[in-house]
Amino acid sequence: MTGDLPGEVVRAGDVSVGPGRDGAAPLAGREIALVDLLDRLLAGGVVLVGDLTLSIADVDLVRISLRAVISSVRAGEAITR
Amino acid sequence: MSTASHRSGGSRVSNRIEMDRDTVERDLMKLVLTVVELLRQLMERQALRRVDQGDLDEDQEERIGLTLMLLEERMTELCDRYGLSLDDLNIDLGPLGPLLPR
Amino acid sequence: MSAAHPTVRYCYAIARPFPEEVLRGLAGVRDAELRPVREGDLVAVTSPVPAADFDESALRRNLEDLDWLAGVARAHSAVVDAVAERAATLPLRLATVYLDEDRVRAVLRGGRARFAAALDRITGRVEWGVKVSTLPADRGGRPRADRSGTGHADASGRSGRSYLRRRMAERNARETGWRRAAEAADRIDRELSELAEDRRQYRPQSTRLTGSRGENVLNVAYLVAEERSAAFVDRFAALRDAADGYQVELTGPWAPYSFAEQTEDTDDAGRAGQAGAEPVTANGSPHGEVS
Repeated sequence: MTGDLPGEVVRAGDVSVGPGRDGAAPLAGREIALVDLLDRLLAGGVVLVGDLTLSIADVDLVRISLRAVISSVRAGEAITR
Repeated sequence: MSTASHRSGGSRVSNRIEMDRDTVERDLMKLVLTVVELLRQLMERQALRRVDQGDLDEDQEERIGLTLMLLEERMTELCDRYGLSLDDLNIDLGPLGPLLPR
Repeated sequence: MSAAHPTVRYCYAIARPFPEEVLRGLAGVRDAELRPVREGDLVAVTSPVPAADFDESALRRNLEDLDWLAGVARAHSAVVDAVAERAATLPLRLATVYLDEDRVRAVLRGGRARFAAALDRITGRVEWGVKVSTLPADRGGRPRADRSGTGHADASGRSGRSYLRRRMAERNARETGWRRAAEAADRIDRELSELAEDRRQYRPQSTRLTGSRGENVLNVAYLVAEERSAAFVDRFAALRDAADGYQVELTGPWAPYSFAEQTEDTDDAGRAGQAGAEPVTANGSPHGEVS
């Protein structure tokens, strides 16, 4: 579980939200679950037509082999930076 | 469907072909087992519906239940043999979602 | 194509200008050097990557390789997050690749107005992710042979009737659990939307991906003004404390991955370099859309 503690709200930029925090608190340095990241990187973001490939259509390209993902990603596994 | 990692070097070619053959067979079994599993789930769902409706007498319930149970065991065995789990089976129909309900 | 461009430019994000030091100590995909490309008041964050890894067939192959995918995703988000801390940022999708720096500049020039509008929409906002799922127990497991059932038994003592009864109980629990979670999801979505400026719904996450955490019923991202973030999180906390028979999860704060989409046709941005004077490669042939 990431970031679900009301007391630890952080945000990008110089102004922090939440009790007791001063200064910029980094977005980086917290755990991010791969599944949540893939949602955003594969289906979100600015869609630009690149030069070499069409922008990835949704997650269809990846879904074929989600089994490969499952074998490595277990509940709670996260990318830590 | 496979995720064969790509190797370079001629000396590995025969290994790769073998692995591809195994993977092909495995992928084929995966397809077949998925269809069988779909039918099994449909039958089971139908059976439960009829039990709900009080459609079956004790004997019928017993026979159908036993059949379904044995079927499920066979499926698990077959999957094991090919290094698959029941949860592994599925066919992605794209916008229609997966073939088997999750 | 590859002969003319053995390396190409991987693009992470388009942002407003930010201090160089933001990228210090960071590397891009495959540890490549990050190269911001500034054009007017926009910066595209890029790094060189081998073209061979990103053409269509290579990409299909690579996307099925978890190690490759996780590595690229991690590098990509590290760069995006670092930039987003210091400047309004539009994260790009994974694997947005251009032939070279000239092309990147052309894209920035051609899409200037659209990018500016998109940046305005997310400046001073934060993304939060919310997921509602059934409880793990309610998912229902695979049926197992019943060794202690009642009713008629076969030779090994198992009973078909008890098997059916067990399956029925599992099915009912699953349906009840799902219904509870779905109703809650509706309610939660409505309440949180009140505090959000925008909302984007993702497909429910596959159970198999998330492990045994129950079935995902709602998977949504909210765009929340910074000054509302605390209230948003507080409301989520209240909803979580009241959760009964389902589970909720908050992720974030995120850079605005889910709200960076441009509303207009994006083709112009891709073809920006080809209207009028076409940029030309060293060997005299014009850049074109390459497949």
